[in-house]
Amino acid sequence: MKKLTLNQLSKPIILVAFFLILTILRPSSFLSASNLGNVLWSVSVYGIMVSGTIFVFLLGGIDLSIGSLCGLTAVTCVMTIRHFNYSTTGVLLGILLTLGVGLLAGLVHGVIITTFKVPAFLVTFATQIIFLGLSMIFTNNKILSCQNPPAFTMIGKNPVPIILMIIAAAISWFVLRKTATGRYVYAVGGNPQAAAISGISVTKITIMAYMISGFTTAIGGIVLASMTQQCMASTGSGYEQFVIMAGVIGGISLLGGEGTVPGAIFGAVIIGLLQNGLNLMSVPSTQHGLVRGIVIIAAVGFDALQRDPAFQGWLAKRKQARAKNA
Amino acid sequence: MANEIILEAKNIYKSFSGVPVLQDVHFEVRKGEVHALMGENGAGKSTLIKIITGVYSKDAGSIWWEGKEVQVSSYADVQKLGIACIYQELSVEPPLTVAQNVFLGREPRKFGLIDHKKMIKDTEALIKQYGFPLKATDLVSNLGIGLRQLVEILKGLSCDSKLLIMDEPTASLSGKEAESLFGIIEKLREKEVSIIYISHRLEEVYRLSDRLTVLRNGKNAAVLNHDEIEPRKVIKTMIGKEVDESAGSAKEMRTNPNEVVLDVKDFSDDIGRFKNVSFQAHKGEILGFGGLIGAGRTELMRAIYGIDKHKSGTATLNGVELKYTAKSSIQAGFGFVPEDRRNQGFIPLLSTVKNVALTNYDIIKASGPSISDKDERDMGIRAIKQIDIRPDNPDKEVGLMSGGNQQKVVLGKWIMRDLKVLIVDEPTAGIDVGAKDQIYAILEDLAKQGVVVILVTSDLQELIRVSHRILVMRKGSIIKEFNSGVVTQSMVLEAGSGIVD
Repeated sequence: MKKLTLNQLSKPIILVAFFLILTILRPSSFLSASNLGNVLWSVSVYGIMVSGTIFVFLLGGIDLSIGSLCGLTAVTCVMTIRHFNYSTTGVLLGILLTLGVGLLAGLVHGVIITTFKVPAFLVTFATQIIFLGLSMIFTNNKILSCQNPPAFTMIGKNPVPIILMIIAAAISWFVLRKTATGRYVYAVGGNPQAAAISGISVTKITIMAYMISGFTTAIGGIVLASMTQQCMASTGSGYEQFVIMAGVIGGISLLGGEGTVPGAIFGAVIIGLLQNGLNLMSVPSTQHGLVRGIVIIAAVGFDALQRDPAFQGWLAKRKQARAKNA
Repeated sequence: MANEIILEAKNIYKSFSGVPVLQDVHFEVRKGEVHALMGENGAGKSTLIKIITGVYSKDAGSIWWEGKEVQVSSYADVQKLGIACIYQELSVEPPLTVAQNVFLGREPRKFGLIDHKKMIKDTEALIKQYGFPLKATDLVSNLGIGLRQLVEILKGLSCDSKLLIMDEPTASLSGKEAESLFGIIEKLREKEVSIIYISHRLEEVYRLSDRLTVLRNGKNAAVLNHDEIEPRKVIKTMIGKEVDESAGSAKEMRTNPNEVVLDVKDFSDDIGRFKNVSFQAHKGEILGFGGLIGAGRTELMRAIYGIDKHKSGTATLNGVELKYTAKSSIQAGFGFVPEDRRNQGFIPLLSTVKNVALTNYDIIKASGPSISDKDERDMGIRAIKQIDIRPDNPDKEVGLMSGGNQQKVVLGKWIMRDLKVLIVDEPTAGIDVGAKDQIYAILEDLAKQGVVVILVTSDLQELIRVSHRILVMRKGSIIKEFNSGVVTQSMVLEAGSGIVD
């Protein structure tokens, strides 16, 4: 039996603490089934997105474009459906086209990053602007509504988004945990030179990771468009923040090589609970950003503290002292 | 030449955890002389220099500067005396100009702001005084490695340094850059700057130095004047008669009668790091590659294995030409243990099990896309047993292990495969003696099973002890083969230094 470390236990502890605090503060409203369902529903879009973007994080890369790509894919989907007169065929074509756009965006990212050795930060920073610009052109900066057909609107209704999130997370977990490809992702993120000498194509793995990120972002875009039954250029804007935040809170190292899908989903759920808690306690939405930022710093600081050898030494010493007293 | 002694280290003793590294070493440098310091790996050169520059403390002895005893406990102390050290890893800042680098941290001020005019003027004056091919306003990032080294030297001179210490200054320079550096060194000598010149390259030492101190096993072996610096004699002094005739330093070479497994023909790259290299390796043979650092051995092996590109030539394995990519080479039966273990050898955050498995997912059992955790783990445990990794925790992150165990993990991922050729580059650098012996045993065992082992090493003792046959490279070409008769460390070193009968 492996001993659980503080690091492994910290996530369940934080989750339970969140539940307890919110239950005590808002007993009637928080623990209702509809409220908890709403929390998961609101989390599902970035839960789906982080299930794919985790591949990029594990390589030590970053994808800043996912927020505006989410918008661009939502626009693609809605415009196709509208073009086909809100028919079910239109929905099917729209979904396929949208997933294609996501994959293509990832392919472009991966190829530019591996061919020209440009930092991922810069490439996706630029495409973030480009994707937003394309959405602006396509929508003419107007809101496009899409309240039909049911085949489309059902995607955003509970429990479909939550099920999609669970499927995306499960597949991502399976690939990373169970397949050779997953092992290669951790190896390339941990030491690309050693991975290359071990016969792993760093280029292929990198391109694959950005394509997966683009793919899940496209799913996120479709779900978000269906949830809101409309889209505009700014749909999904800022979602890259939520996804990076979920990853960081979930213990993913942005330097690469470290992190798990359950961790990332945990991070997403924590963001949802935080948001929900703030709403239930009637904290004005103008103050939410401030709280979110502080939570990120706290999560990152806590993580860094746990890795600090001085802190670990201090813990070990306290343990010894306690053992002596007992 | 002035005879005044500028620096003298007397009766220096130093040991690390009980092992004596320097014993009663004496070393002196005269004003305006180029004094070379030579010795095999582990002879104590760098320890001596680190004591002189205040990086290490000495156990006993004294250091005298311009006739007075001095206590140095940090590099800053040493700089104040007028000693500057030009390290192999240059410490210049590429985004700054030459002048900004030279005056970094002590910029001349005017009204509290940096006085750029004065800085540039003073730098130009220095450049002119020593005739360096530089301009004060050049951006260092636009300069080649040779010129960057000159900036470093200029930085030392600007602090009125009277003694410059150069550690293998030509290791990463091209022939032309090295020539230019030699010219500068001669000019510095004329200006009465003293230089301690540490190098493995006999021809440089012969050309430049006024005197040469040779260290051997932490003791003074000899101090030679310029006219006494005769290459063969220096090598004999470095290695020592008693060492050269002791066991492990001399061995009978042999030609392996088995069939040729690896056949390399006319291998060249496009910038001459290796040129028209041809060799054959036989089944079950340990083929050693000797030569000085920078002779092109590592580059050649990386190109054969397929991590780097080559321009012309072929390499065939059992008659089939390789495809020169790491993946295809592994599939064909190659294994590769790189020179730089920390940066290229293993994945520090992953466990022994996952590091060992990394090259072996083609042979680990799987059901559909899902690999068998059990089979992966069994392989890791097998590797741990077979190569004796301690502690034997298969889940321990490899980054947290000792150097010896890390190297065993790197070897472990290859010996789980059906190998035909294993290339090992400096396999025991920075590894303790016990682990070294175990690694040698693994290599010998592989050879017995018919694997071709190609050993690149700068450790002469290791080269002779482990190899069945030795090829010596120099400046990108194989210049000597030892395939019969007794070979000694001196013979390998002579060949690597270009002394050929």
